[in-house]
Amino acid sequence: MEVGGEEFAIGVLISVKTTLGDEFEGQIVSFDRPTNLLVIQEGVGRAVRGERRNVRVLKANYIREFSVVGRADDPLDPAGCVLDLSAIHAREEAALRQAEIESERIGVGVTPEAQSIFDALSKTLPVQWDKTDIVVMKEVRVCNPYLPENVSGGTSAANERVKKVLDFERKRLHVRVPGQF
Amino acid sequence: MAKHTVVAMKPKRLGAHQYDFKYEGPLRATPTYCNHGLSAAGTMNHQQQIVPPRASANGFPHRKLDREGSGRQDSKPQLLMSSSGGFSISEIGGKVGHGCPSRDRLIYVMTQLIGHHVDVHVKNGSIISGIFHATNSDKDFGIVMKMAQVIKDGSVRGHKNAVDVVRKPETMIIPARELVQILAKDVALGGDELPKGPSHDKRKDLMIDSAISRSHYPEERELERWAPDEGDSECIELEKFDRKGNRSWDQFETNAALFGVKSTFNEELYTTKLERGPHMRELEKHASRIAREIEGEDTKDIHLAEERGLYLDDDLDHDEEIKYSAVRRDTDNTKYKASTNVSSNTNPIDSLTRAGNTDPKSWLACPSTADEESSSHVFDTNSSTTFPINNVSQLASHSQPNKHLSIDESRLDDKLAKDSSGDRGTRNFQTENTISEGGRLSISEDLEGPSSSSHPYEPSSSGQGKKSSESLQSDATLTGKPLAEYVNSQRPGSSTSSTSELIAGAANSVACAPGLSPSSSMGSLSSEKSSLNPNAKEFKLNPNAKSFTPTSLRPPHPPASDGAYYYPNNMPTAPLGPAVPGMGFPPAYGGQPMVYNAQPGPSPQGYMHPAGPQYGQQMMIGQTRPVYYYAPDMQQYRGRNF
Repeated sequence: MEVGGEEFAIGVLISVKTTLGDEFEGQIVSFDRPTNLLVIQEGVGRAVRGERRNVRVLKANYIREFSVVGRADDPLDPAGCVLDLSAIHAREEAALRQAEIESERIGVGVTPEAQSIFDALSKTLPVQWDKTDIVVMKEVRVCNPYLPENVSGGTSAANERVKKVLDFERKRLHVRVPGQF
Repeated sequence: MAKHTVVAMKPKRLGAHQYDFKYEGPLRATPTYCNHGLSAAGTMNHQQQIVPPRASANGFPHRKLDREGSGRQDSKPQLLMSSSGGFSISEIGGKVGHGCPSRDRLIYVMTQLIGHHVDVHVKNGSIISGIFHATNSDKDFGIVMKMAQVIKDGSVRGHKNAVDVVRKPETMIIPARELVQILAKDVALGGDELPKGPSHDKRKDLMIDSAISRSHYPEERELERWAPDEGDSECIELEKFDRKGNRSWDQFETNAALFGVKSTFNEELYTTKLERGPHMRELEKHASRIAREIEGEDTKDIHLAEERGLYLDDDLDHDEEIKYSAVRRDTDNTKYKASTNVSSNTNPIDSLTRAGNTDPKSWLACPSTADEESSSHVFDTNSSTTFPINNVSQLASHSQPNKHLSIDESRLDDKLAKDSSGDRGTRNFQTENTISEGGRLSISEDLEGPSSSSHPYEPSSSGQGKKSSESLQSDATLTGKPLAEYVNSQRPGSSTSSTSELIAGAANSVACAPGLSPSSSMGSLSSEKSSLNPNAKEFKLNPNAKSFTPTSLRPPHPPASDGAYYYPNNMPTAPLGPAVPGMGFPPAYGGQPMVYNAQPGPSPQGYMHPAGPQYGQQMMIGQTRPVYYYAPDMQQYRGRNF
């Protein structure tokens, strides 16, 4: 489907509605007819070096309707488009590392409630997931359904502390989102 | 080729990067997968890491998938082959056959997306969020995402905002067919800031230790030896050594030349003057022999042992802190313990003990005068030979605390004898009766190993028995060497005979002198700690106690004024009269504090409790017992106060 192929010129400002219900505006960065991919940047004009824009790559098939809002210069500088591969690699690696770290915070196969409890606990205590148990300070274990009575292990001091924190966090969460669970 | 690219590409394997579909698992597109996709409600079957087509999406899912899968697999080698170093987008364009700049732009944008967090909308309404990894720019730009998760499940079954169960992120491939749109935030379309580009990312990703150790950070790198840059020859200056190992650079010379600073250092101000006379070589040889003997000794002290390369019982509990900490811990080792192998020491002690009396002066804690020291050089070295050895070994075997260099060997022996004869707990030997000199010397051994050496010298009031003695006595940390040195300094006037005896003795211990008759003073053994010797009699200073004259015992430690050994040396030759108890000396040098306490009476003085670690390394060998030393003349103290 090539909807409006002729009108997708570089630099054109368009307002789009997609078949999925999205609506947005932006400037066309490029349009690749064979693949029907339209690249739109949010914001008008050429981005200076380092300036960041939100970019959308949209398959033109899914454009329900669009309208041309205006015209402007080519958002890409043909001469200045350099790809720094090493920087890209580095960025990707950094992002992956970060994501890995964050993913460890997420329990596999646990309910969102459990996850939110985990997140709340992790604000003040070192917590890890062990299957569906939350392990605090490597000693104290909190099992399903993560009530204060499910706290076990560790020294009595640690145990008490975890119980208190858990209790407090639960109350806090309940107050914030009543009835979610 | 219609138009050439305007996008400059680095001559790298962009293609490889771009085309590198790094799936985590094999790319399988089996019918079962599709069926599961159909039937498994809500569960995204990501085993093959392919977004399962929803039942509603495709009529023939499996077939399409097969094609897709195989197509992708085919495309992979294709893609890889197409990428080669030095290619440019124009090549891509040419190869693909489109050659349109729009394709180049698309590729540029897609490449810029790599590493960004993107949200991918797919046909069924699901939104998948992950890190953009690669795209199939050769064909239809399906994309590969790493650490991807389904944010919003648009499947028929679940129109929920949140997924039922949290799942672990994984690598996902989204076929172009499924792709609706890719949303990326904060993309630098104009290129990253040049110099700061990488660092900017680094700032975002603070590499904290826990992050590094947690993630699979690059494994250990091969370390390379540092080599200076070519033009940088100056930094090698500092390491120029000539054949002898001396640096060819004289700092004093340089300083004088550069700043006109003249050094006024006179070694003799700080140490005893070395008499370079005809006996020099002899003395040197002697000294080095002694040194070798000392250094080759067995020792129970862990620090000494380490220095000498011996291995004590390798206690795995001895971590660095225990081994090297300056903090005194009250472990059993440091408590006063009655040594059980006193008997073994007796004989050596005999040999050690001095037959004759030693001049009280010689017992001065410090080499009193230079001339004394010099004159007694030979003696000192000689006498010191065996004494330290004996002392050390005895100490070692007895686990005796380091002893103060007893001014009077006989006293020491006497004390040791008493030790052997009686309980060897913390005992304050009042060896006055055994002291040949007129003065009384109380030998206090500090049983606490580490503390002994560190005791600072404090003049103590004579009033309190133990206390005074405590303060008086700095715990003697006798290790072979220090003791020897101390002894050397102590005994400027010891007789040669004692030396020979000492040497001959080759005793294991100096401590025990069984031959000595326990004097009355020895009978009363008071211990500072009740745990040490509950039976010890309370020490009471008895100014009228008879002085002891050892008969056959040699002084355990000949006075030696070692050139290297520096000790506050105001111990004059004055005979020890009823000395003021509670006099002490500041430690001569780090680790060897010796406190002299004048104990007129034969009664053993209160055991001086080591005040605490003043110096890092306490050289306590075996059992340490309070040893009181007589400080006959405090006024003449000319040493340095540390």
